[in-house]
Amino acid sequence: MKTTVSEPVAERRRSSAPQASARWRKGQGTVVPAPLAHSDTPLEALGDSKFADIYNEHSQAIYYLSLRLLSDPEKAQDATHDVFLKAFRKMDQFRGESSWRTWLYRIAINHCRNLQQGWNERHMLSNADDAIWETTAAKSDSPLRVLETKELGQRIQKALDGLPPEYRLLLLLVADEQLSYEQVGALTDQTSDAVRGKLHRARKAFTVLFEKTA
Amino acid sequence: MNRQTKLNSQGQEEAQQQSAAEQTQQAAGQEFATPEDLLRHDSLHTPVPPTIAHRLAESIGKTPPPPQSWWRRLLGGSNQ
Repeated sequence: MKTTVSEPVAERRRSSAPQASARWRKGQGTVVPAPLAHSDTPLEALGDSKFADIYNEHSQAIYYLSLRLLSDPEKAQDATHDVFLKAFRKMDQFRGESSWRTWLYRIAINHCRNLQQGWNERHMLSNADDAIWETTAAKSDSPLRVLETKELGQRIQKALDGLPPEYRLLLLLVADEQLSYEQVGALTDQTSDAVRGKLHRARKAFTVLFEKTA
Repeated sequence: MNRQTKLNSQGQEEAQQQSAAEQTQQAAGQEFATPEDLLRHDSLHTPVPPTIAHRLAESIGKTPPPPQSWWRRLLGGSNQ
């Protein structure tokens, strides 16, 4: 992928992380982007507790991962609910050896994997699939251009659904700026070098599939 | 004082130019250097359904408080 980006994109990249943390910070709604504003209210239902803070900070990441792994908004809602309920019940077991984010991701990945297990067994992809991406003349070094944002979510989902599960998970985790390559490696049971190596192929495969959805 | 006014004026002009550039950018579509940038953008525009927090609050209400670990009970500490 090309690392040089046009100035507006670079601006957006720099500003994305602070916006996200501001959105998740309780009681500071001034930077909340319009489409997300309504989702903050129900946090009051969880009361003013440490757990509410944890939900407040990480629910967006867990919901998005579940949504894109399960390809179904209703299943993603159920999964997010189940992940946080499990976390609530096991909070006492959290030793602080990892971050809350990593701990929640691990629960979410296992949960989604269990839900998908039946599907994956029926659609097992062999290593030969990697060769498809390697031999495809993909413009993987070109930036992804999006002219119409209306159906962007559907296009992204379609592209992700076409990827081998490992690549899909890798891209979704690496997209979270709070995670390092080491943490992504720990979550996917591999070294950070392996993450870097596979990420290149995952990007290429995603680009090929995403362009096909246009 | 005049210098301050000039700086303010320059700042406004820059802000207007930036705003115009952003509008042009939106009209012409968006560009993402990597799939991760695209996913990050998508994530920021994917709201968490409010029903999850409501359901979670209900489920937690029905759940007994998490038990203290043996070492906390032994030391007489609290979960707080």
